[in-house]
Amino acid sequence: MRLATLIPEVVTVTTLVREPATRAPAAAPAARLRKRAAGQFRGTPGRLALAVAALVVLGLATGIAGAVGVRQRAGLVDGAVARSGELTVAAQRLYRALSDADATAASAFLTGGVEPVALRERYQADIADAAAALSIVSGGGAGDGRGANAVARIAAQLPVYTGLVETARVYNRQGVPVGGAYLREASGVMRERLLPAAQELYTAVSEELDQARGDAGAFPWFAVALGVLTIAALVVVQRYLTRRTNRVFNIGLVVATVAAVAVVLWLGVSALVTAGRLEASHDRGSEEVSRLADARITALQARADESLTLVARGNGTSFETDYVAMMKRLDGLLGPGDADEPTRAALAAAMTEARSWNSAHGKVRQLDNDGQYAQAVTASVGTEASSTATIANRLDKQLADAIEHNSEVFRQEVRGAGGSLSGADIGIGLLAALLVIGAGAGIQRRLAEYR
Amino acid sequence: MKRTPRKRSASLHVSPGTPQPWAAVVGAVLAALVLAGCGGSNTPPAGGDPAEPARPVGVQDPAELPTSSAAPAGSCDPRASYRPTAPMPAPGRMPSGSSMARIQQAGRLVVGVDQNNFRFGYRDPKSGNLVGFEIDLARELARAIFGSPDKVLFRAITTADRVPAIQEGRVDIVIRSMTMNCDRWEQVNFSTEYFSAGQAIMVARDSPIKGIKDLAGKKVCAATGSTSIRNIAAKAPDALPVSASDALDCLVLLQQLQVQAISTDDAILAGFAEQDKGTKILPERFTEEPYGMAMKKESVDLVAFVNGVLERIRSDGTWTRLYDRWLSSLGATPQPPAPRYRG
Repeated sequence: MRLATLIPEVVTVTTLVREPATRAPAAAPAARLRKRAAGQFRGTPGRLALAVAALVVLGLATGIAGAVGVRQRAGLVDGAVARSGELTVAAQRLYRALSDADATAASAFLTGGVEPVALRERYQADIADAAAALSIVSGGGAGDGRGANAVARIAAQLPVYTGLVETARVYNRQGVPVGGAYLREASGVMRERLLPAAQELYTAVSEELDQARGDAGAFPWFAVALGVLTIAALVVVQRYLTRRTNRVFNIGLVVATVAAVAVVLWLGVSALVTAGRLEASHDRGSEEVSRLADARITALQARADESLTLVARGNGTSFETDYVAMMKRLDGLLGPGDADEPTRAALAAAMTEARSWNSAHGKVRQLDNDGQYAQAVTASVGTEASSTATIANRLDKQLADAIEHNSEVFRQEVRGAGGSLSGADIGIGLLAALLVIGAGAGIQRRLAEYR
Repeated sequence: MKRTPRKRSASLHVSPGTPQPWAAVVGAVLAALVLAGCGGSNTPPAGGDPAEPARPVGVQDPAELPTSSAAPAGSCDPRASYRPTAPMPAPGRMPSGSSMARIQQAGRLVVGVDQNNFRFGYRDPKSGNLVGFEIDLARELARAIFGSPDKVLFRAITTADRVPAIQEGRVDIVIRSMTMNCDRWEQVNFSTEYFSAGQAIMVARDSPIKGIKDLAGKKVCAATGSTSIRNIAAKAPDALPVSASDALDCLVLLQQLQVQAISTDDAILAGFAEQDKGTKILPERFTEEPYGMAMKKESVDLVAFVNGVLERIRSDGTWTRLYDRWLSSLGATPQPPAPRYRG
């Protein structure tokens, strides 16, 4: 389709005539011969042909670079960012499930005899959740070699851990102390192998998320630079034509210029909006999720420490020291920060629970230190509202809900980031086509006047 | 969990669809800069063989053997303790200024015990309470001081922590299958002997190991800081000693085929054999391990008092009753070990 046929001939707005001699279509035959002999791009028609070629190349390059870049970034948003986000969530879920299994196994041991059904079910749910999260992470191909190595270690050691816990249970039911030794070995596998591997995995996938977010939100400098160059070239050509002809505007070139400006604006604005949404997905989404998950896991570790202090029975100073450190860390993590309103409310509630846990824990330690071991165990693993187990569960619930809320914010922002790029590739492609055709047609008209 | 620092990729946006060698070069340079700027992220993956077998926490393989003893065997009579207090003060009326009066003041006797030694001192998994022969002996001491056997605070301690726990005053007394020897007499005081053990070897039921001679090249487990681990090194120098923070962890290692033998006191091994019918204790006894209650070096009055209580326990049949209750699986009830005194 020849656009030139569709666009009416340039309306002459002004008849300001400059350099009439060179403008004349019928130049001296000798000069034409000289031009032919010297080369195609000599003189006005030659220059115009060169301009057409340059504008077409620039326009095409801008269009391709812009459209491909947009596609690529949209792909990263929908693919890498969304996928890494889900992987990060799965890695956190894995870590939480493993920590909770450790804490629950220790509590079940403390209760003595056959463990309560609720604790058994919770342990089993944790293991099932850990396995499900692990399959998500390994199915998602957790990035680099480090993540893959961590997945391999968790996959190899998780059955070892559960095997040791089951052995401990069997011996406990027989009433012999070697069950406790198996539980300690299991806890060692958890704390020295599984949790560090899960931590590494989390670090690997969240680095991947940061990387993907950085790539997807990167400003398309190259395409924008090409676009700006195209605009500059169009301006130069139009100024040249204005000097050569008495027409100020060449509709084809004006259309091309408008298209070029639109391409640059679309590219720039969509990139900035995408980067903004991704920034928001980080600040209001994954960063909050990360902090809340950190708080949740810290609380679980404090809980395991509390139980293990009682299991160690007077030999647990290192666990108690760790408990104090964990609670201090938890206190720091529960500050309001930049969280949104629902999250702030959850954090405040969690903080209240943490305080009452700490004072209940003080009572547990008091009882244990006074030799009232059985009462200390009841105060720690009992089902009463005042037991540290109940308080820790309430705290966990608050944090879990807040994590769910912020994960949803993350998903929304990522969807928004993807949305701000949607259609941009096609739009930019069409505008570039308009640019090329406009430029071509506009100059073609002038060029035709030389024939 | 640590949050990783946020990284914003600063590289140019390079579209693969268009040829741009300069952009590739600039991109490569920027990528190099970015990598250089965060060198921490490209450290080699942390190793760790996924298939590495699980081990109890605190296992040393090979074991780090304790340094040579300050007082070698034979330089003293390890069984000889201080003569008992005469006459013994009535319960609740400890002589003022004595170590017993201080304990009475505190309202409870703090005893360092084992919670993993079946029949001697262990946590009953059914009730969660500490029970056993040594636990009951501790209650007898509380009865003598307070008139009530319940005024005891038990602290579970590891084998290696027995001497530090006494020296640092974390416990008043340790009753935890502790062998009296000249080396330890330098650091703590012992009561008279309350149980006579001897070191033996436990193996799997079908093991080719028949005695201490067969241990060469085999992994043999004992508790860190025990006399057993020293004896293995001394009497079976070609064996490969492995130490665990608790003797019970050795049973776990034997069951998991990570060691071929356990060598520790026969009394402890008898408890293991009861928990695992797939094991056997070899008949050979190659050391004597008299068990004593350990106290602070300075508290000679407490030692004399405890020896007085032990005298009563031996003579009034309490010792035999407790032995029958907890240790009948060791065989016919013997006579209580005869006390030996200094000077």
